[in-house]
Amino acid sequence: MTKVRIFVAALAASLAPLAATAQSMTPMRGEVRAFADAFAVRIFPGNPYDQRIRVEVHVYDQDFQPIDAEISPRAFLLAGQASRPVLVVVPFDGATDRKVRICTESIPFPGEQTQIRAQICGKFFGHRRF
Amino acid sequence: MKFLRAAMAASLLAACAGQTASAATGNVLFNGTITATCTLTVNSNGTMTVSSNLQSLSSHNAGGSAGSVQVDTTGGVSLSVDPVTVTTVPASDVTATTWTPTFATSGAQTIAETGTATPLTVPGTSTAAINLTGTKGGTNRFSAGGYQATVTVRCE
Repeated sequence: MTKVRIFVAALAASLAPLAATAQSMTPMRGEVRAFADAFAVRIFPGNPYDQRIRVEVHVYDQDFQPIDAEISPRAFLLAGQASRPVLVVVPFDGATDRKVRICTESIPFPGEQTQIRAQICGKFFGHRRF
Repeated sequence: MKFLRAAMAASLLAACAGQTASAATGNVLFNGTITATCTLTVNSNGTMTVSSNLQSLSSHNAGGSAGSVQVDTTGGVSLSVDPVTVTTVPASDVTATTWTPTFATSGAQTIAETGTATPLTVPGTSTAAINLTGTKGGTNRFSAGGYQATVTVRCE
């Protein structure tokens, strides 16, 4: 089953569009048809700052409950004005369709009294085909 | 001979006279699709100060300041703030606090101060002012020490 997921992920990665820099996350919308028990999305978190920031990627359902998805890498340091690909493999968990939010989060200025966490969420719709 | 040549040239010209030029024109189409995009850039964090009755710790109070976030979008997204769940309070503060995050935007799109998700329909750059208020009820009061809270600003 892992091989199937890797194949799906590789297929999605090869089909994903190239990202532009200085986007907080792209794409923000997507619809994926998969023939396996999981679907894959490749996103591109971006760092619009001139400084390095720590970025985390999380996957939530429609009610913002966390989903146990495979995220690679899940957390990383991103250089200023840079962007990098992140591969997200979301299990269908027996369903034929699944709507998820994939969110890129960062706290660019930690350690202050009122911190602001910037969160960019994309909405993705996976359809399972048999 | 001269007459024959002249007659042949004339007949050739006459045969070609009715033909149109073979140059052709064509249209080259360009298509482009812009998907929804959103960039949040935190300009500054906020500062909260306590009210004179010690029941409000807010960026709205005198001496406090709102956080500032720049929002660049193509439109077709929404902006919201999450309920505050992660806070750090002094050990001496053992009473409940109600935290209320709000935001307001100016620039490409103006949004009056609100705590609910609001669509961003106008493309361009807006600046969001993020405010946070902690409130204590009854006889409870904020106590001396350091307070810290994290507000999540979401664009989706």
